[in-house]
Amino acid sequence: MTDQEILARWKEEPAPLLPVLHAFHARDGYLSEDAIRTVSKGLRIPLADLYGTITFYHHFARVPGGLDCPRVCTGPVCLQEGALDILADLAPEGATGMPCSGRCDDPVPVIRGHLTLAGRSAADLTARPAPLPPPARDADRECVFRTIREPGHATLAGYRRDGGYEGLARAVRELTPAQVVESIDRSGLAGRGGAGFPTGRKWRAVAEANGTPKSIVCNADEGEPGCFKDRALMDYDPHAVIEGMIASGYATGAHRGFIYLRYEYPETEHILAEAIREAEEAGILGPSVMDSGFAFDLHIRRGAGAYICGEETSLLNSMEGKHPFPRNRPPFPVTHGFENLPTVVNNVETLASVPHILALGAEWYAGLGMNGHAGTKVISLSGDILRPGNYEVPMGFPLERLLYDWAGGPFEGRTIQAVTMAGLSGGFLAGDDLFVTLDEPAIRARKSFLGAGGIMVFDDSRDMVEVAHAAMEFFAHESCGKCFPCRIGTQRLTERLAGEAGPDSLVAWVDEVADIGYTMKETSACGLGTAAPLITESLMRYFPEAVSRHVTAHGPLPMAGRG
Amino acid sequence: MSTNGTGPTIVLDGEKVAYNPGETVYEAATRHGKDIPTLCYDPRLEPFGGCRLCVVEVEGARAPVASCTAQCQAGMEVRTRSARVEVHRRTLMEMLVSENREVDVDELTSLASQEMTELVDRYEARTGRFRGRQSGASRPDDPNPFIMRDYDNCISCYRCVRVCAEQEGDYAISVKGRGFDTQITVEFDGHLKESACTFCGQCVQTCPTGALGDLKALAYRDVAGETKKTRTVCPYCGVGCAVDLLTRGNTLIGVQPAMDGPANKGALCVKGQFAFDFVQHPDRLAHPLVRGEDGELHQAGWDEALDRAAEGFLRVRERYGRHAVYGVASGRAPHEAAYTMQKFIRGGFGTNHIDNCSRA
Ligand SMILES: Cc1cc2nc3c(=O)[nH]c(=O)nc-3n(C[C@H](O)[C@H](O)[C@H](O)COP(=O)(O)O)c2cc1C
Ligand code: SF4
Ligand code: SF4
Ligand code: SF4
Ligand code: FES
Ligand code: FES
Repeated sequence: MTDQEILARWKEEPAPLLPVLHAFHARDGYLSEDAIRTVSKGLRIPLADLYGTITFYHHFARVPGGLDCPRVCTGPVCLQEGALDILADLAPEGATGMPCSGRCDDPVPVIRGHLTLAGRSAADLTARPAPLPPPARDADRECVFRTIREPGHATLAGYRRDGGYEGLARAVRELTPAQVVESIDRSGLAGRGGAGFPTGRKWRAVAEANGTPKSIVCNADEGEPGCFKDRALMDYDPHAVIEGMIASGYATGAHRGFIYLRYEYPETEHILAEAIREAEEAGILGPSVMDSGFAFDLHIRRGAGAYICGEETSLLNSMEGKHPFPRNRPPFPVTHGFENLPTVVNNVETLASVPHILALGAEWYAGLGMNGHAGTKVISLSGDILRPGNYEVPMGFPLERLLYDWAGGPFEGRTIQAVTMAGLSGGFLAGDDLFVTLDEPAIRARKSFLGAGGIMVFDDSRDMVEVAHAAMEFFAHESCGKCFPCRIGTQRLTERLAGEAGPDSLVAWVDEVADIGYTMKETSACGLGTAAPLITESLMRYFPEAVSRHVTAHGPLPMAGRG
Repeated sequence: MSTNGTGPTIVLDGEKVAYNPGETVYEAATRHGKDIPTLCYDPRLEPFGGCRLCVVEVEGARAPVASCTAQCQAGMEVRTRSARVEVHRRTLMEMLVSENREVDVDELTSLASQEMTELVDRYEARTGRFRGRQSGASRPDDPNPFIMRDYDNCISCYRCVRVCAEQEGDYAISVKGRGFDTQITVEFDGHLKESACTFCGQCVQTCPTGALGDLKALAYRDVAGETKKTRTVCPYCGVGCAVDLLTRGNTLIGVQPAMDGPANKGALCVKGQFAFDFVQHPDRLAHPLVRGEDGELHQAGWDEALDRAAEGFLRVRERYGRHAVYGVASGRAPHEAAYTMQKFIRGGFGTNHIDNCSRA
């Protein structure tokens, strides 16, 4: 495609910047200065602004051939699985590291061009589908995984065979939008992307908000280290996501939807595109959804490598082609979302639950949980555990049972030292706190949170200060730079965990780390900065001896005299 | 707004006060005499919420909230100086000290350049805590004669980027990278001269740390004496931007925009901002010159020069009439001279053929 053909293809579409940049990136193998100047003119974005925005994303290569250089996951799990050796072996090809890319159940992922390879050494990297969730342990209590393992389920025919689109058909033909909202509300479904906001309330707010066109945004950015559940849902059940989005559109009066997909899932983009094509052909998407007269169109927008773009307001800025800093709230996306119009932003898992709720009822869904908690949660389990993978558990399920009964426990001769919560954002749980139940109130009582449901396991062979350092390095790498406490705090905590800077007296070290963490937690502008200090906080709570050894071992530091 | 008990109110540090609907907590608090620290705030710009120094405690909120972005709500109970928020402010200031090369910068650097220094002192933040790598990389390679780009002292408040976009509409600079590695840049890391920059200097004047500096003013940093500010109006064009002239003794050492200038609200253009040093330029005429028979200019006394000029003017008027005279005053002359000039042309010759070179 010529420059002008690329611009013409996307110019009139909503949210054109990312697709245009990806088109140039794919065509040239990098983003050249000429390409950036052309896009600046074509989309009328000031050149300096566009340049700054492009540099925000990890995966836009700026040197020729950059797209084809391997990018090796150096996330917390992959670091334990040979990532650094692979990186070294691929160094002659210009390999660089990248944060957790959502395949912790099948490490180590390496992205080259538009292909994901995986393997535990450079020699056995192969392109293969990402794992299906392991067989159900309590099939009657599953929601989103209820039918996902059926062969051919990702195709429209397979999905329909398994009862798909029946809930939507009934909704658009027999229920009013308000009744759909009411049903989701009654089910107790709450956001599965991290914040746990009640989905019914969110939809009602958008339904009642003034301003059109409204939008449904599926948050498929899944950047949280240790989370790979949305990948499994989209790869093996793409129509459930589409069905959930159409239902959300019907319920709120939105006629367009966007799936904001993380860069690191190139295969998933094809699967989703194929599912959308099938749905369009079958009249499920388009001017009259299942002959109901309700119109709904769906677009995929691919991210370019930035964890913060999973934060919903940063995501919206990214879609709009702006610098992806989070916005100040209020106002919230339900009234001022995409292009400042009412917008539902929901996680993949949240939306994929909707078809099942519509088909089997709100009471059925609510009843799946344990001890009064509604519904289920998919836990992405990885690290030092016999059977890693995505497990759908009833809300309120004991963590211990998941770790030992379902996933087989630690490796032979090892014990579990600690697990992370919320992927990485919840910090660590260890000791007696491993006997927690998997629901927000229980986990919050232990100064952590369940969030998106990633759990990484570290056994007694691991150095927890090193693990904490890798975790904080991630947050420093992904801090957007908007607010002072997080921008400086993540850097200072990383340096202290690395033993690169900081006091050499334990008391002073702990003081500094605690003070930085306290201010980050209370004053950061978004969830990244408020959550990151849970890493240091929990490290100091559970592993004070390891911290003490770390501080006293390194002695006076080169940077300690500077400033 | 009303303080007579009819309008909506908030409780500010224990005292019930009125607010204007739509007002932020910061605006209301400032109007009521509170001194909330800020570094990313510029009243002319959209609130950004980056520095978090303006956090206040709001009754019922889990964590402190940024007062610059939070709107007042009826009945809100706000504490602007509680121990809790003061602790955060101090920690934030200590963190800022740790990322910069220096805290103390010359006052001539820019209008806002002392903001950070003052807060460092207010919060006694020169403790040396939180040491580590410093952020930002200065650009001494940028050859422009107006703006110092000393990003070693940048705290990533993005006031420069935002003033350039929101006030000047030039979008010449932006934020590169993210996190601790953010850097203020023009496209492709180039120089300001090749960018969309018009050298209006607004970024310089709003920079709270002196990371951006006025090179023209800094050239006079060694002139002795106390700095005096004189409010006047920029002579260069008809907009009428209010400026403060900085002088030490008889030397004009800089120009700063008046934030409260009705026509400009802190904005200037390259001429008003930077083109002042002709005033003490050695090439300026120091005495009258008249052209001799030889066609060359020669030094003369005032009487001789004025006689020659009057003679010429009168000759022209006699021969061609009063409208044959056309006066053009210089934008580099003081307003008083411009006024005298038009008096001279209008009253003296009786013509309206009078203009100024800066009639923009
Ligand atoms: C730093 C950060 C990263 C986030 N990343 C994601 C993400 O990758 N996917 C997601 O669904 N939500 C993410 N969220 C949460 C979103 O902001 C938002 O709450 C969510 O998408 C709403 O959908 P839900 O209500 O269905 O969970 C993130 C939040 C923060 C603060
Ligand atoms: S907390 Fe971190 S990621 Fe969030 S706005 Fe602040 S700097 Fe950006
Ligand atoms: S001098 Fe003016 S135009 Fe140039 S970068 Fe600064 S604000 Fe923008
Ligand atoms: S250069 Fe000055 S105004 Fe710009 S971001 Fe840095 S400190 Fe703020
Ligand atoms: S895929 Fe490497 S750590 Fe998650
Ligand atoms: S002034 Fe409010 S965050 Fe900076």
